[in-house]
Amino acid sequence: MAQKTGDRDRCATGLEGLDTILYGGIPRSNTVLLTGSCGTGKTSLALEFLIHGAIKGENSLFVSVTENSDKLLQNLIPYDFFDRSLIKSGKLVFVDLPIMYERLGMTKPELSMEEIDLLVAAISGLAKELGTKRLVVDSITSVCYKLKTSEKIRDFILRLSKALSDLNCTSILVGEVAADSTSYSSFGVEEAIADGIILMANMERRGDLLRTLQVIKMRGTMHSRAKYVLDLTPVGVLLVPLLKGGSTG
Amino acid sequence: MVSAQQIAKELSEMPPSSAVSLQMSVDNYLDVIRGVVDLFANKKEMDTIYVTATISSDAIRRVLEALDIDASRVYFVDCISHIMMGASSAQQDEHTTLVESPTMLENLMLKVEYLIRRSESKDKLVVIDSINSLAIHNNNWILSEFLHILVSGLRSRDAYTVIFTVEEHSTPEINNMVSLVCDHGILAGKKEG
Repeated sequence: MAQKTGDRDRCATGLEGLDTILYGGIPRSNTVLLTGSCGTGKTSLALEFLIHGAIKGENSLFVSVTENSDKLLQNLIPYDFFDRSLIKSGKLVFVDLPIMYERLGMTKPELSMEEIDLLVAAISGLAKELGTKRLVVDSITSVCYKLKTSEKIRDFILRLSKALSDLNCTSILVGEVAADSTSYSSFGVEEAIADGIILMANMERRGDLLRTLQVIKMRGTMHSRAKYVLDLTPVGVLLVPLLKGGSTG
Repeated sequence: MVSAQQIAKELSEMPPSSAVSLQMSVDNYLDVIRGVVDLFANKKEMDTIYVTATISSDAIRRVLEALDIDASRVYFVDCISHIMMGASSAQQDEHTTLVESPTMLENLMLKVEYLIRRSESKDKLVVIDSINSLAIHNNNWILSEFLHILVSGLRSRDAYTVIFTVEEHSTPEINNMVSLVCDHGILAGKKEG
């Protein structure tokens, strides 16, 4: 009989519903694209993944690209399980990528191939130095805007994924897509390279807007492909199956 | 007609994780509330998660107050106040969670799940008041699916579920839907005579 969970070691996300969907968690060292339009809960979910990791003693790193990390923390859901001592102890580290760009002298709107090498080395070097086992880049789409071409984006994500995977680090790259997009990524490259895709969306049903989550792919494990409705609460992300109501559509 | 004491007695004989349908008459609402919330749940010191789709949570709160029933262990999931657009004074607070619309059945389940996780009492009771009101806003297919998922989830958490059906407003389809997920039925119908 085929094993449900496969042989790979798991990085249990700590989000009970998601771990159930993934039969135990994300296969360790996978790079997952967490994608969706604005207001779907991507950043909250990614942060919760890191907080649970830090609580378990896994060093966790949040690379913030679009939002200043201080502001991000101010807007954080008041989780029952979050303790700021995780930050003080260095278990949970926030880094603002724009500051990293500045320090690396990357001031031009488009990065060269050499600068991409430098950026990958800087992120993976930091992850290595901190002993990072969970990493989030929020958002990879914003990084891609500085890479411009598909070749550069492919190269950057491939190299970053490889470097983080070599560190046995499980990563989530947050992607942004337009609300009406039929693609899983803005540049069409990110989704092909990632080991997994988790799609978050706002689904309208008879005038109601529901936040949904669906695992589209996840290398190294079986997983549910059904759509779930989620709620962001102080006890964390909660998920229930989307009701079909006998619909055939 | 079944009295409040009899309702509480019948519920007390059921093990946790039981699902019970409670068919009542509109006239019998106060006895049912007393039996379920006061004589059963409060007496057993269990938290009640009260899903209201019929009247607003503040109206039920007033009923509890009038009946001199302690509401400190009652947590409302109010599916009706939001669509009343200001006609209800129910506000989101520690004891009240508002769901935008009774059509958002998944959100209703999520709020119940949240309150179950928050509850510190050993046993928990979830009251659905009522399936007939939910049926006004949802078709039988989706309602049936909702009940199945909700009750299965509550069973796995050892919570009691009591589903109110209102005799005067019920249909054979709704009664079948409820009996399919329930282990026991209590008839608290119209007063005789």
